[in-house]
Amino acid sequence: MKLKLLTLALSLGIGALSHAAGPKAEVIHWWTSGGESAAVKTFSDAYNAAGGVWVDTAISIGEQARSVAVNRIVGGNPPTAAQFNTSKQFLDLVEQGMLNNVDDVALRDGWDKFLPEPVLNVVRVKGHFYAAPVNIHMPTWFWYSKAAFKKAGIAAEPKSMDELFAALDKLKVAGLIPLAHGGQPWQENIVFTAVLANVGGTDLYLKVLRDRDAKAIQGDAFKNVLLTFKRLQAYVDKGAPGRNWNDATALLITGKAGVQIMGDWTKGEFAQARQLPGKDYGCIAGFGPKSPYIIQGDVFVFPKTTNAEAIKAQKMMAGLMLAPATQVDFSNKKGSIPVRTDVDVSKMDVCAQQGLAIMKDKSRQLGNGEVYLNPDQNGSLSDILTAYWNKNIAVEKVQKDIASALKN
Amino acid sequence: MSGTLAVTQPLRRRSRLRPARIGVYAFLLTAAAFFLLPLYIMLVTSVKSMDEIRLGNIFAFPIQITLEPWVTAWTAACTGVACEGIRGGFWNSVLIVIPSTILPILLGALNGYALSFWKPRGANVLFAILMMGAFIPVQVMMYPLVRILATLGLFSSLSGIVLVHIIFSMPVMTLLFRNYYLSIPQELFKAARIDGGGFVRIFLQLMLPMSTPIIIVAAIMQVTGVWNDYILGLVFAGRENLPMTVQLNNVINTTTGTRLYNVNMAATILTSLVPLAIYFLSGRWFVRGIAAGAVKG
Amino acid sequence: MTIKPKQLLRQFVSWAALLPLASTVLVAYLGTVLWSLKISFTNSRTFPSDQYVGWAQYQRLFDNDRWLLSLQNLALYGVLFIAACMVLGFLLAVFIDQKVMAEGALRTVFLYPYAMSFVATGLVWQWMLNPGNGIQQAVRQMGYADFSFDWIIDQDMVIYTIVIATVWQASGLVMALMLAGLRGIDEEIWKAARIDGIPTWRVYVSIILPMLGPTVATVFVLLFTAVVKVFDSVVSMTQGGPGTASEVPAKFIMEHLFGRANIALASAGSIVLLLTVLLLVLPFMLVRSRSARVQAGKS
Repeated sequence: MKLKLLTLALSLGIGALSHAAGPKAEVIHWWTSGGESAAVKTFSDAYNAAGGVWVDTAISIGEQARSVAVNRIVGGNPPTAAQFNTSKQFLDLVEQGMLNNVDDVALRDGWDKFLPEPVLNVVRVKGHFYAAPVNIHMPTWFWYSKAAFKKAGIAAEPKSMDELFAALDKLKVAGLIPLAHGGQPWQENIVFTAVLANVGGTDLYLKVLRDRDAKAIQGDAFKNVLLTFKRLQAYVDKGAPGRNWNDATALLITGKAGVQIMGDWTKGEFAQARQLPGKDYGCIAGFGPKSPYIIQGDVFVFPKTTNAEAIKAQKMMAGLMLAPATQVDFSNKKGSIPVRTDVDVSKMDVCAQQGLAIMKDKSRQLGNGEVYLNPDQNGSLSDILTAYWNKNIAVEKVQKDIASALKN
Repeated sequence: MSGTLAVTQPLRRRSRLRPARIGVYAFLLTAAAFFLLPLYIMLVTSVKSMDEIRLGNIFAFPIQITLEPWVTAWTAACTGVACEGIRGGFWNSVLIVIPSTILPILLGALNGYALSFWKPRGANVLFAILMMGAFIPVQVMMYPLVRILATLGLFSSLSGIVLVHIIFSMPVMTLLFRNYYLSIPQELFKAARIDGGGFVRIFLQLMLPMSTPIIIVAAIMQVTGVWNDYILGLVFAGRENLPMTVQLNNVINTTTGTRLYNVNMAATILTSLVPLAIYFLSGRWFVRGIAAGAVKG
Repeated sequence: MTIKPKQLLRQFVSWAALLPLASTVLVAYLGTVLWSLKISFTNSRTFPSDQYVGWAQYQRLFDNDRWLLSLQNLALYGVLFIAACMVLGFLLAVFIDQKVMAEGALRTVFLYPYAMSFVATGLVWQWMLNPGNGIQQAVRQMGYADFSFDWIIDQDMVIYTIVIATVWQASGLVMALMLAGLRGIDEEIWKAARIDGIPTWRVYVSIILPMLGPTVATVFVLLFTAVVKVFDSVVSMTQGGPGTASEVPAKFIMEHLFGRANIALASAGSIVLLLTVLLLVLPFMLVRSRSARVQAGKS
């Protein structure tokens, strides 16, 4: 009798204990700067509020964080969740059977109903959902300093590529740096993507980056894109090579430069300097009523485990991160836009609202290079572009090189 | 010239302002200026506000000095969800550095001693392969080492990271001691053998005491290397033992986040204070004549 | 000739002492090289695969302009870096050894760059060498309107900026090693040289330097390993740019290991790098082992 009572008391006690501390989730991510920290805190707060315990393992720089995640999986000590980009980076993990899927959460919450197609195609592999997408970043915004435009006598926002070049000419005449740029391969890739999207158009973009069509790459339309890309280089100041993107934004903030082509995370730097969109700086998503909205972003994958508590944690996280209110909160602090358009946009800034409005038009949704190309192909393309930007190479040779780099 | 200055010693001590003396100081001070310039920029940047830094005048003295970046770096800089500065990993770094300095130095001295005096057959081949190993970048060895440590059950642990540091420092430590012992005359060793000393006795009672200068240099290199190590601690130490460099890199590095350069500079200087202290304190062992004295004795 | 048991025991003890060395070498180093070699013949991406592709990765490597340029840069960088560090380190050690005031402070001044993370110091060098707001600008503001120092944005000159920054970082350590060596030299030698009336600089060149042989050898090997592994400085100063002008092998390998998820190509690169080093070092090691044997024979 006493033994039975003791066992009952013990099991009740253990039951109470396991209710007190919810499922523990160790999360590897690379959001380490001030603004990013505030953003990821919305996720950890939401998770903790729902009863879980968020264990944070932040590792700066995406490449490093991802390599640690992979090494931890291989070494037998996987995290509960790991951050990747909306890209083909985690396909090898799926192939090796190293990830859990979150199909039941995806089906329950109807992910296939609200996720944009490029994002859906990334997270759904062979019919299963292997990643939870948490935001959409647009890398090819055109930012401009209102003070610099005023000084150069540019009255209106450029509405086409030609008008952009005219504005850049005016800035040069006024003695300002027309295009603020940081000479790093990924930044050159962004400028190229912007030109391909705005000058080449949606069809050419998909033919080159998604279909890797050699004929399109060697064709005249793409040649024009490359020449326009190279034309922009003349508007960059001499000190650009190696410069961090923040230092280029600083040129806009201090009114020394006019335009920068960079992602929506730039808003963070402006905010740090207490500058406001629409007042001190302007944001242009693209030229023309059908300009594409380039999609890149972050996702979380869930390393394979049979531990019941870990699986519970993974499903909880996948559900919480895509909840509309959390999505808005996170994106506001991160500078991105939510992965779903059925959210309350009133609390988002002017540029983000613009972005979400464009996203509602499915024909304008285009993925970033890394959505369509694997890391090796994307890297090879980057190498060719950065060589072309910095050296005088015949454009036909560049076309040939790109065709062969994207071939396999 | 040697004729007129027959008694050179006393004359050297009396005239301190000889051209040679001025030349020595001139060279040293010019070199010091070259070395100190980046530090000046770091210090000056670390006490400016971000608004001032954005203006881009890196050599300019701050218009308004602020110590906030230093406080932020230590206690409030964001490193993830937590915004508690870089202080978190300090004790972890200490716990990693101490065994990762003592053990590799001991092993390096042992290896160098065996290789230069006892020369067992085939050991030189091993040494050659070891030295080739020093040329392999760390990341190339990462995947195999992860598998090996996982098999040993040491992955993500303090012992694991110490073992990894021992493996990676073995080439340099062995090289340092082996070459140092090569410059010690063989007579000393032979005399000790004749006196009846064995392997361990000669090592502990004769060679190790004579090795003070090289032990200091080895300690400087190893403490610096392990204290500033980032990638090995990140992968092998396990979440509970992450060294300070992980927080430091989280503060400094970012892909698309904002960069607070003043905090970054302050954090870097703070982190380097430990190796710097070791350099400054090691001064009194850089004295002349330790080995010389032992040879005579 | 019978082998005495005492000799056997002595050989055994010295071999036992070298056990950690042997196991590290065989398992960690030799094992890794053999594993890398195997992987370089496959088409492994993020994870090792068993699909053999023969020499395909090596073909791709030598078709790659970036890789070939990185090897060229490494050769140029290596020669300049090693020479500059050894000369500067030696001079610093010699001058500090002259019973100067504030020796401790001076030593710390020359050593502190070595203590600092290159992620931050590399950025400072990038700022200093930037023509817009660095040294060029500062000198021009002082009145020399024609002064030009924009190597860091010049594709042909950028590698020299890496040399300057890394020499700044490493010379202090060379100085420390040389100083330890210098301080180990018997005071008697100095006295004898002074009595003979030999000028100081002659003593250094003809007597001291040869005696520092092992120290110089150590320094050379250390600098050589640093050259082959140079990575942090390039990443934080120029990111391999402008374009790919300051690319180095370690950065190429690293990027393909993780960022590009192509461990086969990265392994091929490491094997080629290792073979290059082996080819350069082998003649040295043969010469040194012969002279060491001669020296041992003399003493």
